[in-house]
Amino acid sequence: MSERLITLKNRVRAGEHHALRQAVPIEILKECETGELSWSRRVACLVRRQCEAERVILEPDEQIVFTRTLPGVPPIYSAEEWAQLTTGRTLHEFGPISNICADWNLLLSQGLLGRKQVALATRERLRDDPTAVEFIDCAIETIDAVLGLSARYTREARQAGREHLAVILERVPALPASTFHEALQSLRLCQAVVWLSGHYHVGLGRFDQYMWPFLSSDLEAGRLTVQTAEDLLAEFFTSLNKDSDLYPGVQQGDNGQTLTLGGVTPSGDLAVNELTRMVLRVSRDLGMIDPKINLRITSQTDLELLGLATELTRIGLGFPQYSNDDVVIPALVSHGYDLEDARDYVVAACWEFIIPGRGMEVVNIGAVSFPAAVDQAIRVGFTAQDDFEAILNRVSENINEQVTHLGDAYSRLLLPPAPYYSVFMEGCLEQGKDLSEGLKYNNFGIHGACAAEATDALAAVKQFVFEDGCISPDDLLSALEVNFVGYEPMRRKLADEGPKVGNNDAVADRLLVRLFDDFAYACKKYGRTPRGGFLRPGTGSAMYYIWLATGHVGMREPIVGATADGRRRGEPFSANLSPSLGVRTRGPISTLQSFAKIDYQRIFNGGPITMELSDTVFRNPESIRKTAMLVRTFVQLGCQQLQLNSLNLETLLDAKKHPEKYKNLIVRVWGWSGYFCELAPEYQDQIIARHYFESG
Amino acid sequence: MTSGIIFDIKEFAIHDGPGIRTTVFLKGCPMSCMWCHNPEGQSRQPQVICSPTGERIAGKEYRATELAALLNQQAGILRANEGGFTFSGGEPLLQADFVAEVIDLLDDVHVLLDTSGYGKEQDFCCLVDRSDLVFFDLKLINSKAHHQYTDCDNALILRNLQLLNEMGKPFVVRVPLVPGVTDTDQNLADIVQTVRGLSGLLRVDLLSYNRAAGSKYQYTGMEFKPDYEESGELNLNTLLFEQAGIKVTVV
Repeated sequence: MSERLITLKNRVRAGEHHALRQAVPIEILKECETGELSWSRRVACLVRRQCEAERVILEPDEQIVFTRTLPGVPPIYSAEEWAQLTTGRTLHEFGPISNICADWNLLLSQGLLGRKQVALATRERLRDDPTAVEFIDCAIETIDAVLGLSARYTREARQAGREHLAVILERVPALPASTFHEALQSLRLCQAVVWLSGHYHVGLGRFDQYMWPFLSSDLEAGRLTVQTAEDLLAEFFTSLNKDSDLYPGVQQGDNGQTLTLGGVTPSGDLAVNELTRMVLRVSRDLGMIDPKINLRITSQTDLELLGLATELTRIGLGFPQYSNDDVVIPALVSHGYDLEDARDYVVAACWEFIIPGRGMEVVNIGAVSFPAAVDQAIRVGFTAQDDFEAILNRVSENINEQVTHLGDAYSRLLLPPAPYYSVFMEGCLEQGKDLSEGLKYNNFGIHGACAAEATDALAAVKQFVFEDGCISPDDLLSALEVNFVGYEPMRRKLADEGPKVGNNDAVADRLLVRLFDDFAYACKKYGRTPRGGFLRPGTGSAMYYIWLATGHVGMREPIVGATADGRRRGEPFSANLSPSLGVRTRGPISTLQSFAKIDYQRIFNGGPITMELSDTVFRNPESIRKTAMLVRTFVQLGCQQLQLNSLNLETLLDAKKHPEKYKNLIVRVWGWSGYFCELAPEYQDQIIARHYFESG
Repeated sequence: MTSGIIFDIKEFAIHDGPGIRTTVFLKGCPMSCMWCHNPEGQSRQPQVICSPTGERIAGKEYRATELAALLNQQAGILRANEGGFTFSGGEPLLQADFVAEVIDLLDDVHVLLDTSGYGKEQDFCCLVDRSDLVFFDLKLINSKAHHQYTDCDNALILRNLQLLNEMGKPFVVRVPLVPGVTDTDQNLADIVQTVRGLSGLLRVDLLSYNRAAGSKYQYTGMEFKPDYEESGELNLNTLLFEQAGIKVTVV
């Protein structure tokens, strides 16, 4: 990386630009109220006023500009009015539309003026439809606002003698981009304004597809070299990290600013290009948390690309996350997505597969708590003297009930108008229809959380209560009731000796598959939602792996106490698809084999198999290649999504404090690998010290 | 039908041979090397390990058919990834009949024998015959020193090394470097003398010592008593090997 980039990165990391921020958000409530503006007009007013209030910031060494100075998004309704507006309705998370993906190619190929022309034509055609006219007027108000902001940037750039920059800003985002530099500048400003409008989890879509034509022609014409292009790309990525602290999320960094690489084109050809590799390289060298990278792969993906991706994994950011096109695309198609759209999927904020510009989907309306479904079935079933099959039937009923409950809650979903975001969605300006009214795809997604512990609990009951008969139902009930206090031998048996998910164990895996089949069936049975979509079942856990164990304010799902897999009350569950915490497995191959058994043609909302690898695994080119082969194995086994993590200092320190949670953490000691938690403290310290120095 | 005792099965053992491998650790070893990092591999019998993660039993008995069936579940995956199975320990030669039967029951897949070479000639030949590649440990050439640090005579080991070479099986010699013990110029030169000219030798791996050898002893109820300075700087004299035209790597 160049000196310039290192300086830019360090400045952003140090938060120097925070000093440029205005002290308080703007105030527009009065204006909205006195003008008695409609909801849509209030949103447009918000976007316009935010753009007008932004100060122009021209850092001397920046080639891609826009630095946000507004610290927040002001309210457009008073608390009372908001309560009235939303009473009896379900708001998704914070309320504003989030976690969808624009078709950024609409911006880059038409420019904002081009989009405005489309809007004006529609306004003329639908002039007798007041709703459409109002929407179009609102959308145009926001387009003009962004153009105004960019005009101010242009003027100041010219005054500051930054002619090259001024020429670029004069062209974009108003006009279609004609170079890679222009395209990045256009995207930077227009995407930042989406955040400024109160939307969040604003994804960047298939970046290597819509950006490649610009880069490719620049490289061909000699306007850019690979080096200068990487420099621009690194600057663009750095700029995406400027405002992480202003983005809403469960934890800082949980901002869903993802981009998706690779895969196939809408016509089915391999889509990997030089920009795919460039993004992986630049992200690796930059080492910043945004953008979060997803790599679509197929059984045809070459090991070289997977090796490059593994080098990115190695630096410990937790990405790229891999999605398997061979599995995802057919699943989308069999659920009503057009083939070309399915081939164009991107990954939403976390895991879910969505279609850029064509989806107004709410992919995470909540979680089905498998542990709760199983725990309740076991307790009630024991009391009713059920056999094992009857307990399984209760599990199915419980899952169905949870799905119905979530579906019903979201039948009252209220989505606020989004005139600016609509500019970048297919058909909104063309049909005079706001994004919030729906797009081509309007489905909801639900995740089935913490399946491993739930399965292990069922498997333990099957084996120890119903087959071996060594634990009686009453004893188990009593033990669960008192959180295993006084029942340690039983707890150990349940925790250590039962069949476990993640070991390619036929008994446990059959139960795992059954849980997901029940879930898929419940979603299918639910049928159509009032928004015209259906429910997509997935395999993510998000924060539920903590929340389901400890509770959280406003959580719809019940807390689960001690469970029959030997887990004590309050202990967290494992993340996404991974073996239960504390379960000893033989390793990643068996774990992949276990999770490969889930029917991903029915469970298709995403949610990764999550694996922790010690960063010492990535020490030399040979082991990088072997890790790439492991990723290829994930594809070949027909799994859906994979997240590989390289462990860092913080994890190791936590492992020292809570060794019981990290039984499978493998570290390279010398000519051999060992379980970190089985090393004496001084050796652990030595390894921690090593990591510390490596990462420092 | 034989059965054997395994103390671990580890997948994705990236340092145990080519490609993606799964390593089977056979329990029991006739040697007791002062620096042994797998003390739970020494005894033939299953034993309780009390570590901070709780108690567990190291050592499980498998019938050969049972173990082969378990391994065969992933043989295809390992084969497709340039890898296979590694039989390590402990010392696999101690359970040669069992290991041989397991290998015979495996699908067509690469097999690597990781051995100290300390075992009966017949057992050694039996397993080498069934392996595609052998990792052969050489620790100390001086017979007295060898005895002092491993409790075993090395004549058998050196004889088996010659035998291995005569069998025409490709092999890698692995030298665990222990500061002041195995890493001396004298010992390394002796090793060069011993392996020079062996036609099946692919390379020599020098395994760095990293001061974690003793970590597991306290959990197995055993005592770790090095008589050498663990923190001593290692002598990584690869030149001795290179001068003799022997390919050498430091692992």
